[in-house]
Amino acid sequence: MARARTVLPDPSYEELFTRARNRLPGSQLPELAELRRQAWRRVCEIGLPTSRVEEWKYTSILGRVQKALPLLEATAPPLEQLKAAFAGGVEARRLIFVNGRLVPELSHTGGLPDGMAITSLERLAARQPERLAALTRPAEEEGSAFAWLNAAFWTSGAVVELAAGVRPQAPLQLLFFQDAREQAGMTHPRLVVRLGPGARLHLIESHLGEGEAGQWVNLVGAVELGEGAELVHEVMQAPPQSATLLARSRIQLAAGARLVRNIASLGGGLVRNETEVHLCGSGAEALLNGLYMPMEREHVDQFVRVHHEQPGCHSDQFFKGIVGGKARAVFAGRIMVYRDAQKTNAYQANNNLLLSDEAEVDTKPELEIFADDVKCSHGATVGALDPSALFYLRARGLPQAVAESLLTYAFAGEVLERVVDPHLRGQMARRVLDRVPGGGALEAEGLV
Amino acid sequence: MALLEIEDLRARVEGKEILKGVSLSLEAGEVHAIMGPNGSGKSTLAYVLAGRDGYEVTGGAVRFLGEDLLAMEPEERAAAGLFLAMQYPVEIPGVSNMYFLRQALNALRKARGEEEVKPGEFLKQVRAAAELLGMPQELLKRDINVGFSGGEKKRNEILQLAVLEPRLAVLDETDSGLDIDALKTVAQGVNRLRGGERAFLIITHYQRLLNHIVPDRVHVMVDGRILRSGGKELALELEERGYEGFAGKAA
Repeated sequence: MARARTVLPDPSYEELFTRARNRLPGSQLPELAELRRQAWRRVCEIGLPTSRVEEWKYTSILGRVQKALPLLEATAPPLEQLKAAFAGGVEARRLIFVNGRLVPELSHTGGLPDGMAITSLERLAARQPERLAALTRPAEEEGSAFAWLNAAFWTSGAVVELAAGVRPQAPLQLLFFQDAREQAGMTHPRLVVRLGPGARLHLIESHLGEGEAGQWVNLVGAVELGEGAELVHEVMQAPPQSATLLARSRIQLAAGARLVRNIASLGGGLVRNETEVHLCGSGAEALLNGLYMPMEREHVDQFVRVHHEQPGCHSDQFFKGIVGGKARAVFAGRIMVYRDAQKTNAYQANNNLLLSDEAEVDTKPELEIFADDVKCSHGATVGALDPSALFYLRARGLPQAVAESLLTYAFAGEVLERVVDPHLRGQMARRVLDRVPGGGALEAEGLV
Repeated sequence: MALLEIEDLRARVEGKEILKGVSLSLEAGEVHAIMGPNGSGKSTLAYVLAGRDGYEVTGGAVRFLGEDLLAMEPEERAAAGLFLAMQYPVEIPGVSNMYFLRQALNALRKARGEEEVKPGEFLKQVRAAAELLGMPQELLKRDINVGFSGGEKKRNEILQLAVLEPRLAVLDETDSGLDIDALKTVAQGVNRLRGGERAFLIITHYQRLLNHIVPDRVHVMVDGRILRSGGKELALELEERGYEGFAGKAA
């Protein structure tokens, strides 16, 4: 087939797949082995994207992923760093992934309420392998080569299931630690979250790590919310600068379900989030808040699509970016209102602050509306600090440099304020302060 | 020595001359009012005093406590004891009112070589000021001026004034957008902050604020100049005759 815009994966992937497929979890199961082979064929059919693919116009990932890297193994991670990233409070349950592999000894999933189950794909491979294919199969129309790559190469993952009406008090934290002190490689973790009707979950996801060895994380999430279910999903991405993080989430909401997703990208050499939200039932609501703050030569790409498939749904995207150094940020947000989706309310705002002449932002808000009775709006700004706000702070006595730092922080603070878990919010705020020029001089007390 | 000495001050905004030779002298402890029609240059004078960018001084001098005010950065003017209550206070989402106020107070103290305020003491001070102005505590925790009504924003300015304790407070149309009850509360607050060494320069379009904050001197400003100065009765005369009468007389 013609392959003008995508390229075949390097033969090293084929070699790795041949070598590893009999050792991958669930390989003893013909159905799963076939699924992995099929997934691998789809990767080859679709090809890896060059910047000539419209959706990858501003993000060039090929150099980082074209050649297969070894599948990462878990290590003994630095415990102090892990603990510093704990969020959700003392009651929180926690799954810890090191280099993309679940480490049960470090995890804490005991004492769950009836109707709530947390398990790993590896564990299912040993105990209920017949479930694996359904849990790891991408949607047939899935067009992302990386989603299929994940389906072919996954080695670990979490499955979180809540039965109807189950509403655990304590948050669940998924902590991904990239130990890149010695190992270079790739990992394809998978996350499945299913909330039954009326269930509610507070899910916290943290990405961090240490080291200079290049690692690539290709995370795929599949989230399904039943009728009236509610998910608060809060994500902090702060892997080391040596890392590449690609996180693709497909989230489906049944009627009356509610999603709040707060995501802060505060580290990593290249981070791309692909968020596809499907409002599949009437009255569903999705609030997506995002903050990204690439510095130096970092690159962050926020790719968001909200599908209004049914009437009376509400969505609101609120993304803010602060870009410094020679960094680059991309925001591509699309609202798609299907023909039947009357009485849709859909909003999108993307505001960016450029801190240097060499920083770059590419923002591309898009509306596709096929219904006539809808309220939709979008807006994007790219600018510098507001001179009148700067004057206001200086007129109250704040030195210019402090006023600038404070306003830069405030720009991010407007997103941080929406973060529900105070521990996570504090961790994000400290990282924001580290990234704000002169932020070290700001008093953290009262701010974070 | 006068607290504030403005001498033949001329200033331009976007190339247009707005202040055409303003002279004014204000002693410690005095309250002066500047009245004038829209576009007469009152707010420009306020911004020039506070040091806002884009207001180009083309002539004259301003001495504040004997120092050359115009040579100072805005934050240096604040540290010297100048406070401008703004006509349009800026909304700053992402930072709480309380945090901002504490940082401002500590910045002023630091510039003056004083110690930082103790948290307990600060809280007490802010609460007292909020009570004085009938401001709900909840507003203090909110982001700076975000979601405040016009009246709440103006009260917030006076709250900052009460906590930062300047030597000279310039109130730029603090009465605009206030209903009569809010006006009274704000005036009461200002009156409680009067006395001692503190001086006020009150800029207003209407006389009604001056029923509640009685000035020592009133200056009438028209077309970038002070046309007349007098006692508090001048405000009443102005109310009766209107600015037209004054402008006509000048011509």
